[in-house]
Amino acid sequence: MDLISILATVILATTIATVIMGFVAYAAFKLRERRRPGGRGSMDLPVDDGGEPIFFTRYVPNGMDMRPAAEERSY
Amino acid sequence: MTRKRTIVFGLVAMLFISLIVMLGLSYRALEEKGASFTAAMNSVLLAAISLYLLLILVLLVVRYAVIILYSFLDHIESLRRGDAVYTESELNSLPMVTLVVPAYNEGLVIQPALKSLLELDYPNYEIIVVDDGSTDDTYVKAMEVARFSHDVPVRVITKPNAGKAQALNTGMSLARGELVLNMDGDAKLSPNTLRVCVRHFRDPRVGAVAGNVKVINRDNIWSRIQALEYIEGLAMARRAQSFTRTVNIIPGPLGMFRKSVLMEVGGYDHHTYAEDCDLTLKLLMRGWHVVYESRAVAWVETPLRLLNLLKQRYRWTRGILQATSKHRWALWHPRKAGVNFYILWYMLFEGIIWPFSNLLSSIFFIYVSLNYGLIILLFYWWVQLTMLDLAAATYCCVVEDEEPSIIPYSILFRLFYINIIDISKVLATIEEWRGYSMTWGKLEREGRL
Repeated sequence: MDLISILATVILATTIATVIMGFVAYAAFKLRERRRPGGRGSMDLPVDDGGEPIFFTRYVPNGMDMRPAAEERSY
Repeated sequence: MTRKRTIVFGLVAMLFISLIVMLGLSYRALEEKGASFTAAMNSVLLAAISLYLLLILVLLVVRYAVIILYSFLDHIESLRRGDAVYTESELNSLPMVTLVVPAYNEGLVIQPALKSLLELDYPNYEIIVVDDGSTDDTYVKAMEVARFSHDVPVRVITKPNAGKAQALNTGMSLARGELVLNMDGDAKLSPNTLRVCVRHFRDPRVGAVAGNVKVINRDNIWSRIQALEYIEGLAMARRAQSFTRTVNIIPGPLGMFRKSVLMEVGGYDHHTYAEDCDLTLKLLMRGWHVVYESRAVAWVETPLRLLNLLKQRYRWTRGILQATSKHRWALWHPRKAGVNFYILWYMLFEGIIWPFSNLLSSIFFIYVSLNYGLIILLFYWWVQLTMLDLAAATYCCVVEDEEPSIIPYSILFRLFYINIIDISKVLATIEEWRGYSMTWGKLEREGRL
């Protein structure tokens, strides 16, 4: 096998791998975006059930009320 | 410096000559593989695709050549302009500039960003921070900086969350300056930004100035390739457009506008997810000149992880398509639309045709390699594109005075990055065409400013 054939094989393998990776990564991105706390998949109790948090102490920034999250729009 | 430039332009010329040699070699290789190539071309579909890809390759080389030429002419203009030096009397008569900083959950970066704004080298400016209903401590942190600032007036406004476009419109309506600089809450500006941008407004036809955007967090392969992507996008396409005064996207991290022009076009619209592109197109459609100033730099963080990068590109792709679609009449009325006709077709080429063609080429070359043993075709295609990328990267690093160590990343760009990004662009385009709903995505900040 000459050098060009080896390089060509490497490029072919990389192209196949990246095309597959491109589709898989996009699917993963869409899955992540779709899942939201409190959605259909949420099986635990809601966070604000009045009870004490079990593992973590909630963080409240100085001088701030915990305002309800508005529609998620950001930049 | 002149010698360095000569060497680099010689190198770019050599790369282009090598490209032609490579074309000759690929033709010879095809001749040697005659039997299998003829067998592949017996399929009408494969023959049509190979012809199409050849046409795209020619278009691409022409595009690179034209863009580099125009970009170089703009670079010469920029060198002639030099640094913005004002006399004492000019300094006293410089127009007031209002910096509008929209911020949503930017608690991690808002203070360093505002502190850098207080150090800008300009005698007459104010800052308006618009807290867009953040759920973190953005407002409190911005107020702390406002209390400390004595020389530069800083106003902090908080409002219910309604998106970046509305936040910018709010800031614009409260601006006292004749010129308005819109930026992102997570961007850091170079100290000379206002001085170098303002001088473009001496020309009454100029409605806006687009700034240079550079990546600050060059920490891993993803961000370094993006850094190169930004450098190339700005040093080539943006500069070339600036030469014809038709910059088609004023970047969100740094854009300066005449306030009167912003009011005339009605500010930012809420209908798209790329409000910066939409606003720029509105300005261009009304005949305003939009230029690029490479010396005004906004340093920004880019995504370090693949999924965050896809989230960003997904929004950009759909947003740009939405903005283009709003002005689509210009695509079919060349006489009436004038230069805007070319701008929109260029945007469609970059946004749709090229990503689709790139994906098509990958699938085509994989297929003919595996079925007809024409792996050599993929090799020569890839080498030709990589040479174009290397030539472009070398040119851009010279005109932008960037580290040469970033040039080799153009090989990685071609090897895997562009395939992944183009697939996400293609899928995002299909979703936009099918009318799928979408939401804004908040990019996680590293707090590197």
